[in-house]
Amino acid sequence: MGRQVAIASAGFSEHASKRSDVSMPELVSEAIEDCLKNAPSVELGDIDAFVNGNMPAFEGSNIPELWMTDWMGARNKPLLRVTTGGTTGGSVAISGYYTVAAGLPGVDTVLAVAFEQQSQGDTSVGLASVAYGEISILNTLGIPYERISRLLSAGAAIGVAAYQATTYMNKTRISEEDLARVVVQNRRNAAKTWWAHLKMPNLTIEEVLDTPYVQYPLRYGMVCPASDGACVMLFTTEEKAKEMCDIPVYVNGVASVANESAVLGYDGSGSAQIDPSMQLGAIRSSELAYKQAGISFPRKEIDYAEVYAPFPNQQLLWTEKLGLFEEGTAPAMHEAGITDFNGELPVNCSGGVNSTNAIGASAMERPAEAALQIMGKASNQVPKTVHTSIGSGWGGSLNLITLMAMSDQPQRKWR
Amino acid sequence: MSKMTQRKSLDYVKKEYVRTRTQPGSWYLSSYNYKFNITHMKPFLAKLKEKKLVANQCSSCNRVFFPPRLVCGKCLVKPDKWVDIRETASVSTYAISYLKDPETGEVQERPMVLVHHDGADTVSIAELSPDVNVKDTYVGMPIIAHWKDERVGGLVDIEYYDKYKDDSDDIRYKK
Repeated sequence: MGRQVAIASAGFSEHASKRSDVSMPELVSEAIEDCLKNAPSVELGDIDAFVNGNMPAFEGSNIPELWMTDWMGARNKPLLRVTTGGTTGGSVAISGYYTVAAGLPGVDTVLAVAFEQQSQGDTSVGLASVAYGEISILNTLGIPYERISRLLSAGAAIGVAAYQATTYMNKTRISEEDLARVVVQNRRNAAKTWWAHLKMPNLTIEEVLDTPYVQYPLRYGMVCPASDGACVMLFTTEEKAKEMCDIPVYVNGVASVANESAVLGYDGSGSAQIDPSMQLGAIRSSELAYKQAGISFPRKEIDYAEVYAPFPNQQLLWTEKLGLFEEGTAPAMHEAGITDFNGELPVNCSGGVNSTNAIGASAMERPAEAALQIMGKASNQVPKTVHTSIGSGWGGSLNLITLMAMSDQPQRKWR
Repeated sequence: MSKMTQRKSLDYVKKEYVRTRTQPGSWYLSSYNYKFNITHMKPFLAKLKEKKLVANQCSSCNRVFFPPRLVCGKCLVKPDKWVDIRETASVSTYAISYLKDPETGEVQERPMVLVHHDGADTVSIAELSPDVNVKDTYVGMPIIAHWKDERVGGLVDIEYYDKYKDDSDDIRYKK
């Protein structure tokens, strides 16, 4: 019944707004190459199964995993595809975990691949194709399409995140300066990460506050970019991981929880989540994952956190909802430097989604970076020793949360 | 171009990549027919014509859904009770969008709000009246539905929400 799963390696491709030098399969193979470099004893032939995922409509190419079968080395091997919107990467990583944990004969080593090449297509069109089936009921009830797109700010994710930011700012009584401080921290961290997209080593709070609003209260300088990039994680069993790398990272808890969607609602009938920053799904997923991982005091036991925060208010929000800080104290913790690179609990030292956002890959880059921090192979390695770390993902209309809790010590669930 | 939408970009460390071949393409997709069950909405839509607001209530958890909902996701039962809802509401949260008017090309600053009707347990997305000053919007602001003169029995019958002055004590938040 089940097996202990470990991460042997993880890799990234270089991220940029336009990776005009590579095609989609080449981008993926770049990340696989980096992943195998971190685990020199592994070859493509040693990998038994593959999990692949991205958001298809964003690049105008459905079933791209068949296009890149040979580029991944997946010929004649089990191949699975997962797509869950913003959490695609997190779901791909969790599927990789499931595939190994299931204990199928002959399936020990699984490569999880998540990627996105947004410069190929139009992200707004892709997002509209995701949401339109759900919200077109509003058309049947008499609201014209122009009005819907105005209400949701042309369908982009910022349309729902801005509502969340307003309630969060109202609840915790913070100003835009606090949001800008988070951005500055992320972008400066990104400058030290080789694969990150928006590297701004000398960014200041004033510069961020000088940019115009995209949608109040979020400014142009605060929102995430659209990147091209891929991320790869290598899952394997406990025994094999010890041969493959020096410090295997054990996956001790996973969770993927959806709650009622906020803002958009359901079949045109509004949403019962009156406060979009309540995020019951995040609280529930952290409960589930921490219970599996045996974490009772997340604030004390977790050494490093990577949270999925395309917008600065979400970084503050998730760190609270995932139990890292008390409710409403995250802005003060950021100001005091606790979340800094040198701090007590470093958050998003890779720059986070705020600096690099290849949508399908983003939610996997979080656990991948958190695992590399434990291994000591991260690009922007924190000075403190990391024993336990988490990587979260967010998707849908503020409602689907994935979480992966990792440690250098296995938590035995199956005896 | 308005100052509001000027894209002043921040400098970042850029790397130049070699350009490979690029072939433009596009998807000519068919049109789709999405299916929705709106039988539960019929009494609600009929009452909208009479300037009345009704919502349905789950008999298991007593949550009031406005607009009506087919199934209560918490209890998995069909809400079967009908209750009246007041026209007054409060702003649950808001965001201000800066979008171009397609006709005049001017950038409109308009607050989009999530409306929490008094007596309901759900929020729905709506617009505020153009008369409301953007800077005066706040979370918890009391508002009231503004009806269209010619009502057709659709959600669009409530054109927007007006600011509503209410001195009663049940306003929890004040600016």
